[in-house]
Amino acid sequence: MIVRRLAAIMFVPLMFAFGSGVYVYLGTLKSKAVKEHAQLPTVTKPKFVLPGTMFVVQDGRLFKMNNGSFTEIGPSGDWSQPAITPDHAHLIAVQRNGFSSDLYMLDMNGNVVKKITSNGSRNITFNHWAFYPRVSPDGQTLYFDTDNPKFSRQDPGVDLSVWSMPINGRQTQGRRWTDPYWYTGGDTNPIPVAGGLIFVRHSIDNTTTVHSQIYVQSRPLAIARALTAPTDDCTEPSLSPDGTQLAMICASNRQATTLEVAPFSGTTLGPRRIVMSGALFAGPAWSPDGTALAYFAPVGVAGHFELWYLAVPPAATPSASVAASTGASAAPVVFPTPQPTPIQVTQGVDLTATSAPAWY
Amino acid sequence: MAGKTPPRRRRASRLHPGRLIVLTLFCLLLSGTAGAAAYFFPVVVAGVGQTGQTVVVPPTATVGSRPVAAATAPPGSPFTVLLLGSDDDQKFDPNHVLTQSMILVRVNPQTRHVVMESIPRDLWVHLSAGGYAKIDAAYAYGGPAAAIATVQNNFHVHIDEYAWIGLKGLIKLIDLFGGVDVNVMNPVLDDQYPNDIDVKFLYGYQRVAVLPGPQHLDGTHALEYVRSRHNDINGDFGRSARQQQVLLALKAKASTLTPADLPDIVSALSGEFKTSMGLDRVRSLLGLANAFDASNVQQVILYVPTYTSYGQISGQSVLIPHWSQILAVTRANFP
Repeated sequence: MIVRRLAAIMFVPLMFAFGSGVYVYLGTLKSKAVKEHAQLPTVTKPKFVLPGTMFVVQDGRLFKMNNGSFTEIGPSGDWSQPAITPDHAHLIAVQRNGFSSDLYMLDMNGNVVKKITSNGSRNITFNHWAFYPRVSPDGQTLYFDTDNPKFSRQDPGVDLSVWSMPINGRQTQGRRWTDPYWYTGGDTNPIPVAGGLIFVRHSIDNTTTVHSQIYVQSRPLAIARALTAPTDDCTEPSLSPDGTQLAMICASNRQATTLEVAPFSGTTLGPRRIVMSGALFAGPAWSPDGTALAYFAPVGVAGHFELWYLAVPPAATPSASVAASTGASAAPVVFPTPQPTPIQVTQGVDLTATSAPAWY
Repeated sequence: MAGKTPPRRRRASRLHPGRLIVLTLFCLLLSGTAGAAAYFFPVVVAGVGQTGQTVVVPPTATVGSRPVAAATAPPGSPFTVLLLGSDDDQKFDPNHVLTQSMILVRVNPQTRHVVMESIPRDLWVHLSAGGYAKIDAAYAYGGPAAAIATVQNNFHVHIDEYAWIGLKGLIKLIDLFGGVDVNVMNPVLDDQYPNDIDVKFLYGYQRVAVLPGPQHLDGTHALEYVRSRHNDINGDFGRSARQQQVLLALKAKASTLTPADLPDIVSALSGEFKTSMGLDRVRSLLGLANAFDASNVQQVILYVPTYTSYGQISGQSVLIPHWSQILAVTRANFP
């Protein structure tokens, strides 16, 4: 009798354990999209060692990657869009502060050297954004985007224009370069080149569809010339170190993009080649020697944007038609076949895709 | 003593091994069921409280007409859902909120085809509750039944189900899914974005800047993306297109979910979600999300000037419907 009671008593914890086990087991059946959270880059090891040094951003934090490991740099704050000065001595980066954002100069270890812009105000209307810093090849001029002036009709128009200012000067010395298409969000992604400026313009067609196009412009407020057609929806241009190739992201629809490369003469764009397609590619950046691209693309069901490396094959004999009469380039060709195989560099870190890697 | 038989010593009964096995299995089944019941308890609670909401839809706008329950489509056949999204902060009585987003969705499980038609919130229509107003007021004047009846009466469609979600619910849902991947086609900047989530003063503004390009958005930033409208050249239409885009991105994430995710989902949506769909249909929809391809999703937006035109009525900026065009496109997509 005692033995049976003991057995019964022993059975209760067994039942409890089994019930708990079922509970825990059901929890393991959750989707990976729900379970997977991004890790800090510093606790991960890149799968592939990239040449040189690269700066990337994860959720407002700056990271430096070299020799196959990550180091977090910079003070706390909501940092993004690092750009390297041509002498490789400084970074220019954006810090967001709720209602505004400012450009800062940092040394290569992330220490703040100086604050370049001052866009905050107690009055919401007098706040401004500053994004997409880029330094001219001679290192003297800083190009960036800001929502100045604001245009007001019924609703306050907040659209980005490209501005420039002396990198060691004052914000009041700033000069507006572009006149955006109002209420589209404006012009973005400036890249200073020898002949002027490359940037992305957002516009609207007569079917109310908003497009992005890569433009080139020779001087401030001059008429800009389109390098790509409206329906190509190309954006995020990245110029190779020797200035002869332009990488860009083009969108076939709202949920897929292509990574494309085209020769660039300084004023005209040659035939575009699709080097990657079939996913959401973002933030292309050329390797220091101009033979490869780094870019972001989502991985797995969690959709985290990871860093990828792609050796770009040299251009074959151009087979695409010449640029259209509007100045915009013709439809791209897929090149080569099969497409080169990209290498995944990071895993599980979810890098900020709107902050292209800065690589030297 | 004689004649008295000694008490017979009760023989200790031995449990037959077969009975022991049966008893063990029964106990394990019982405890396993208890474990599963504990796991899915929030789903059951939500199933009672938030799903399977009974809606009595008046068939016409005629005052005094007898309301009848809308017939729902049989399982496996095409059905139409009215998706409603609202500001649901403390500025409003929870039962009288405006619907910032109204999307008609037709799902055909057999052809795996989905159509989404966004209804502009400023569309000037006859409400089922009587009188004319912007269509976003229909829900405020009579809850889901009035919203459904207003859409049915004006668009000449039959709505089988509805689902309503509040702002915080959308944030929590997207965060639970680990964010969504979208390609932001142009910068979304807004100096008059409502600063009304988890703040004491509900009537302030904040500045929003969602930069262009492919990116991973968390719940808060995804909400900014789908809610902002002040600096969009397409106004509310641009916002509708962004809402449909995020819905598609959510669909992509939903296709990876399993029934084991349901407790987390209902916990995230607690008080922020109501639907006429029963748990069975919600579960089957999750399964369907896997089967639908983005190329089989058709998106309809009632742009100016084809379907609507801008106007001023009673001092309000409204959209005047061009019913012949609207009904033609609606009839074609919602037979």
